[in-house]
Amino acid sequence: MKPTSSSTVISITSVAAAIATGAGPSAAAETETLLKRIRSRDDQVRCEAWQNAGTVGAPAVGPLAALLVDTDIEVARSAKRAMEKIVHRAGRPGAAAEASAVEAELIKLLKHESPVIRRAAVWMLSEIGSDESVEPISALLADAQVREDARCALQRIPGDKSVNALKTAMKAVPEEFTYAIADSLRKRGQNVPDYPTKKLAPTLSTQVKAAPAPNR
Amino acid sequence: MKQKSSRPISRRGFIQTSAAALGGFTLLPSGVLAQAGRPGANDRLIVAHIGVGGMGNVHLDNMLQFQREGKVRIAAVCDVDESRLRDAVKTAGAEVEPYRDYRYILQRKDIDAVLIATPDHWHGVQTVHACESGKHVYVEKPSSVTIEEGNAMIASARANQVSVQVGAQGRTGKGAWYTCRAIRNGIVGRVRRVDCWHYANPVDDNPVADCEPPGTFDWDMWLGPLPWRPYNPRYCPGVFRWFLESGGGQIRDRGAHQFSTILWCMNADQQTSFTVEAKGTSPLKGLWDCPVDMEVVYEFRNPDWTLVWGQPGNKVGKTEFGQTFIGDNGRLILEWEGAYRGAEPDAINFKLPQGGQEVYRTAEYEDFNMNHKADWFKSIREGSLRPAVDIEIAHRTATLCILGNISYILGRRLVWDGQNQRVVGDDQANRLLTRPQRYPYVL
Repeated sequence: MKPTSSSTVISITSVAAAIATGAGPSAAAETETLLKRIRSRDDQVRCEAWQNAGTVGAPAVGPLAALLVDTDIEVARSAKRAMEKIVHRAGRPGAAAEASAVEAELIKLLKHESPVIRRAAVWMLSEIGSDESVEPISALLADAQVREDARCALQRIPGDKSVNALKTAMKAVPEEFTYAIADSLRKRGQNVPDYPTKKLAPTLSTQVKAAPAPNR
Repeated sequence: MKQKSSRPISRRGFIQTSAAALGGFTLLPSGVLAQAGRPGANDRLIVAHIGVGGMGNVHLDNMLQFQREGKVRIAAVCDVDESRLRDAVKTAGAEVEPYRDYRYILQRKDIDAVLIATPDHWHGVQTVHACESGKHVYVEKPSSVTIEEGNAMIASARANQVSVQVGAQGRTGKGAWYTCRAIRNGIVGRVRRVDCWHYANPVDDNPVADCEPPGTFDWDMWLGPLPWRPYNPRYCPGVFRWFLESGGGQIRDRGAHQFSTILWCMNADQQTSFTVEAKGTSPLKGLWDCPVDMEVVYEFRNPDWTLVWGQPGNKVGKTEFGQTFIGDNGRLILEWEGAYRGAEPDAINFKLPQGGQEVYRTAEYEDFNMNHKADWFKSIREGSLRPAVDIEIAHRTATLCILGNISYILGRRLVWDGQNQRVVGDDQANRLLTRPQRYPYVL
């Protein structure tokens, strides 16, 4: 069957991704098969594909991410679930090399033009990201569309480097965002005397009125 | 050490200390505070409702009954859905103040206690905020969606000396009580295994695209602590239950009931460490990501016993869900959580052996929802601040539910160290014990 133009693009991307991650031709074939199944219109095929995506690993991360903005919502969902399976498998104990490979692919996505893809990558990195992820995630603190997700990820990634990144951000981010950064630092055990929490300050009013008291 | 006498006493504190000194509301001389036979305005708890859909309506009905009995006064209702809020105002009656933002309620010094019946991803944050504002809390189960939230809830309840009751009614329910005293006193011998059965999680067979939220609904506030995403009708109302980030499926909903009762019957609240291994069948499509079927096996040590969450599991009872206690000398079934449904005749007719262990249960109302709240009031007026399903008890239950889901998500067995509140040797699993929250909806 003659491939459609979109699947040709995916195919090239799969091979390129496999080469970029140091994987061989079999990884490219696996990725290609996975992507084809993720794009299937058959619910059963798509579901089985994402459930078994974990072992395909790093080479599939980039090509799957491209499907997160697919116009078919079920394809987009399946692609995201496939990526999550890869991240969850890579994060298992004793699989540091696998985790690093997946992390490297996710870091590349932080510069993607789509905020949907940047946001998904940030949250996945919050689960397996190491010090390597801290600087590229910190760069997103200047990105109004995903800065809150980036802050959350830095709060979650253990180690001094993420704490230091948050401290640096205190001086660099817009004033209104500083309160959120301060909260993250407190959650990480830091003493932040300025920028007290706004969590208890109400902001939203209702149009609903109380029922009047009956005439006495 | 804090000098209690140097602190100005609050109205709530006065209620607590004076009622305790006099032996509780019902023993107060009626002439002191009120008309004969009824407590006066000064010893009523002033309550507010945060979330007035679903179970929130049950709580509102219960509080209206308590209000008629002179035990509470409803001061405020809150919801992010204006149409629900409008309905609640009609139900609650005159001069009950409506709010969209629960933090206005927390600012009111006249309000003693709040009842929280919001989606599960809000329970932790709102409970902590209420405790920090000095309010007693009745919060729906499951108590939390992360381990971090549960620990923060305990810490804030203790630091602010308030009572936090979680709405898993089994431990004040009659059916669970009969079963608990029978199990603890050997009706089936030593119990080595408890099997739960429960029907499946539903599947979103008709997925729809993201769209604009209804005009009367504050989507951003509904999301609250969750990462922002576009509105989709499959998130709410009620159906938040079927996505893992919020409701966590049947295991975190009904599991919060069943596990609470089981730990009580097994006298296992102190067995906080265990292993957990989950497997499940994912839905084929749709937004909801909770597994349709699920089996989760928990292994406890010293004493050794196994807890199995079966979805559907081995349904040996007559109703939708329940559990079987399997002992050396037989089996005992308990339908539901032992509040909505009664106990088996064998448990009801069980005679406590000489020297046997009696089990306490608050028994003020036949209605199990009313009785569970009466137990909460009791902990406030007597000053113990430890209701039957105190937040610490509820957190232990929620821990089972949460870790069951994490094991399913990660696809691997986890070893839980309850003492240190950590998964042993699994960095990724430990990261999932928290979920950083969207500011300012933070713990």
